[in-house]
Amino acid sequence: MLARAAADFYWMGRYFERAEHTARLLRYQLARLVDTPAGELAVGWRVIYRALGQSAPITPTVTDEAESFLLADAYTLAASLVEETTNPDSIIRCWTTARDNAKQLRPWLPVRVWTCLNQGFFWLRDCDFPAAWATGPAGLAGEATDRLRLLAGVVEARMPRDDAWRFLELGRFVERLQHQAALLDAWDRIGQAPGDAPSLSWAGLLRVCAAHEFYCRTHSMVIRRGPALAFLARNPELPQSLCFAVHRIEKLLAGIDPRGARYPLAAPHRMVLRLSATVETDPANQNDAEGDGGSFEALLKDSRALHGITVSTYFDYPVEAGLPS
Amino acid sequence: MTASRHASFDRAYPDVSQPGVAGSGGFAHYEVDARFYDEMFREDGTLRGVSRRLGTALSRASPEDLAQLQEGVARRFIHEGITFTVIGADEASEQIIPIDCVPRLLTADEWDHIDRGLRQRLTALNLFLRDIYHEGRSLRDGIVPPDLVLGCPQYRVEMRGLQVPNDIYVSVCGTDVVRTHAGFAVLEDNLRVPSGVSYMLACRVAMKQAFPRLYRAHNVREIARYPEQLYATLASLGSWAGTPRVAVLSPGRYNSAYYEHAFLAGEMGADLVEGRDLVVHDGIVYARTVTGLRRIDVIYRRVDDDFLDPVTFRSDSLLGVPGLFHAYRAGNVVIANAPGTGVADDKAIYAYVPDLIRYFLDEEPILANVETHLCRTREGLAYTLDNLDRLVVKEVGGSGGYGMLVGPHSTAAERDRYAARLRSHPDNFISQPVLDLSRAMCFVEGNLEPRHVDVRPFVLRGRSDTWIAPGGLCRVALRRGGLVVNSSQGGGCKDLWVLRDGQVPD
Repeated sequence: MLARAAADFYWMGRYFERAEHTARLLRYQLARLVDTPAGELAVGWRVIYRALGQSAPITPTVTDEAESFLLADAYTLAASLVEETTNPDSIIRCWTTARDNAKQLRPWLPVRVWTCLNQGFFWLRDCDFPAAWATGPAGLAGEATDRLRLLAGVVEARMPRDDAWRFLELGRFVERLQHQAALLDAWDRIGQAPGDAPSLSWAGLLRVCAAHEFYCRTHSMVIRRGPALAFLARNPELPQSLCFAVHRIEKLLAGIDPRGARYPLAAPHRMVLRLSATVETDPANQNDAEGDGGSFEALLKDSRALHGITVSTYFDYPVEAGLPS
Repeated sequence: MTASRHASFDRAYPDVSQPGVAGSGGFAHYEVDARFYDEMFREDGTLRGVSRRLGTALSRASPEDLAQLQEGVARRFIHEGITFTVIGADEASEQIIPIDCVPRLLTADEWDHIDRGLRQRLTALNLFLRDIYHEGRSLRDGIVPPDLVLGCPQYRVEMRGLQVPNDIYVSVCGTDVVRTHAGFAVLEDNLRVPSGVSYMLACRVAMKQAFPRLYRAHNVREIARYPEQLYATLASLGSWAGTPRVAVLSPGRYNSAYYEHAFLAGEMGADLVEGRDLVVHDGIVYARTVTGLRRIDVIYRRVDDDFLDPVTFRSDSLLGVPGLFHAYRAGNVVIANAPGTGVADDKAIYAYVPDLIRYFLDEEPILANVETHLCRTREGLAYTLDNLDRLVVKEVGGSGGYGMLVGPHSTAAERDRYAARLRSHPDNFISQPVLDLSRAMCFVEGNLEPRHVDVRPFVLRGRSDTWIAPGGLCRVALRRGGLVVNSSQGGGCKDLWVLRDGQVPD
């Protein structure tokens, strides 16, 4: 497959995953506007922005005045993540950039996939954010999530399992790995506070990751830090777990570059094995009920390195390295 | 719009005992003008035999039905991204080419005439191109003035003496054909990178969905094989041990015809590449793939000569591939159309095409040329200046309807300015009479009205065969009374139905 096209598929997958992740976090946060204390909401905003690697346009406060500014703050913060075209990671920008990638992929992209993607783009572009906010803040994020999942479904149904699909999926799971690691890190580091200070619940984290019901069914209704983090890191059956993403990356790389999966391993394959080992070895003291402020930093660093290695191995290699033997 | 949502008037066998008449009923806004050949009606306002069934069905259609159809087609084009890019002052925007939902019909005999004329013309033009880059007999024998050819900016000295595979310089050609009361004539040959074929195919798909029963009943010739034929044509240009690897070279997604490049690559199973995807190493062209460099055998280029190779042509080109022309000269890659073909579609050379047909083929031209005055001659310039208000004046290297003067639609000040340009660079202009282009029925602003049309059929020339898609991009001047059909100048397009057996049985 043409290297530039593969890169476009990879980036398209990344942007759509990023948009879905943002929409999912927003949906959770905005649904809580109804009944959650202002202080806890402020912590939620800080965690979201930190997990997305962005700086918030305003600083959500936990002081007494927070209650009065709760909705205004939420509007500003949500708008920045949804419709702000100057924010390179907002949902609209992610969708637009993914569509730009897709435009260059028309020969490889089934018409139904393009049409679904395009219709979603037009919906978002023409969306009246103030009006959507007035009818229900969480509705817009919900609709965006649903449209992104519809697109994922059309991709699943229509795309052959060739290199185009593999690179698209690779982009999605590299992005998911990075975002999930950043989310767990942010929730663990700044979502929790000692004593009576506002904190985020571990059940909330499971809900954001669409894992709450699954956890309660297979573990316990009592949710504590250690088991929750371990579940989100190491459960191989949970699509949002770190372990699930790493395993999918491993399989996709084996399909893209079967020779690289044999010893001596190619650089991306080696890195994914390292990631797999890190996930298995308790990256943030997951067995500790309280934690020690440990983080998923090493995992984040390695997942970013995986991206760099993927680019230099498959997309931007030197000409001499690519000549037929 | 879906295939199951058919318009109520889409009937295979409408009751033709009461056919529509221009100027009344459903055609109340349709006025037949005897000055122009009407594709739908005779001069007395009755439907032509070929249009009887379609016209009768349309006469029973309500404006709401037609508006809904038109809107459905436009929506489908937007959602499927069948668009072209317009580069504005600040940003690029995507637009769809306006599609008219009423097809134009041609009988088998009419098409046969066009088909034979186009084959003859392309054969002569290929012989002419071979000649000017080798022996130059036609220049020595005075068929075409040598300075006109050698001084043409599209003449590429780099092509001199180069053996082009099978002597086929032009593999893909889009020729603009018009109809007047005198019959069909060629308005322009497009031999460089003719575009529009994807809209022709998209229009056809849309029309089949809009009028499934009428379409079937009309026994229309198919054009869907075009991508398959294009691939076969490109693959026939060389000799290969296995299956040749074909690439479509595009300037990139900001090019106005990018959708078409992507569409053709997808339909042919070819790589859609940009200059940055290709590298030349030891005279071989390679594409960068995820598993290393892969050889490319045939390049269907949609990039102008100037930008193909910064080493040979424009050094500031970022769109081309350094060393590509070297690989081409070495015979390691086929480029279609060959570099340097633009000289044969120069508007000044156009005037000599009938003579070239006689010279190279010893035949009379089947399709006429439009009367053309070369301003480079003393008489041509004087005639043009004396009749500016009655002529269309064009730049010899112009395209897309830009830089031309339509005399009857111009002001005195515009004509004065244009006359000054003519006097300072007469070589750069030709003039032609304002043509009485034929008119076809269109659904415009809620009514069925006549509009001027032309058609661009697409011709493919391979090693052993010439294939012409039985149809074409039928371009429409959507402005009332307008004659400029180019999409960049407010034109639209419609489907052209070429019928298998001439008349539709009533």
